[in-house]
Amino acid sequence: MSYQEKKTLASITSGALLLAAYCLYAFNPARTPADLKAWATTMLVFIAIGIGATIIIQIVFHILFSIGVAIQQKIQNNDCDDKDIEKNIKLEMVEDERDRMIEMKSNQVGFAVAGFGFVVALLSLVFNYSPVVMLNILFITFSFGSICEGIYQFLLYRRGYSHA
Amino acid sequence: MPNPIVITNNIRKLRFFANEMTQQELAEKAGASRQTIIAIEAGKYSPSLELAFCIADAFGVSITEVFSHEVKE
Repeated sequence: MSYQEKKTLASITSGALLLAAYCLYAFNPARTPADLKAWATTMLVFIAIGIGATIIIQIVFHILFSIGVAIQQKIQNNDCDDKDIEKNIKLEMVEDERDRMIEMKSNQVGFAVAGFGFVVALLSLVFNYSPVVMLNILFITFSFGSICEGIYQFLLYRRGYSHA
Repeated sequence: MPNPIVITNNIRKLRFFANEMTQQELAEKAGASRQTIIAIEAGKYSPSLELAFCIADAFGVSITEVFSHEVKE
């Protein structure tokens, strides 16, 4: 599995963990806040946690990936020095036009899911659901959109991508 | 609507005739990642015109010697 595929899996994992944690909180009647302000605060906290968790997961992933490449290099050639290992790590992490193209394609999926969620959230208001429901639909579909984006990105790396 | 085009390539053959050039070496010469070269060679990715020319330059041949196309009926 390539660096990009592993990075995408790390991103999907962090997104899924955040969504799962939020759902556990939001759908627990014992702990759920009552008013709109409290919900907004909760969501802001979860967004902050999400950003922090994503950064930490990516850092840990980079460290583990680099260690993995170094170990693999040492097993293949015990005489290789640190410069060779460093060069190999850099080569594995190169991003080019294919990565950018796949990222753009998967972004479209993410935006489509988030857009659909926005419409559903507006419909919930039209059908007289509380603004709390609307806020939750927005948060959950945006998070879900980010996961879908990651899954589609992973699929494109596995299946290949053609301009046709 | 025009018929779909299938793009094939001779990268594996050209690498063989270039003293068994590795995918990593070709990637470095063409300015792409090794994964992209692997994907192009396997027919899983059609490169941009710029990258296609860079790959041809890496072998010192014309682009038509690296890539060819076939129109599906």
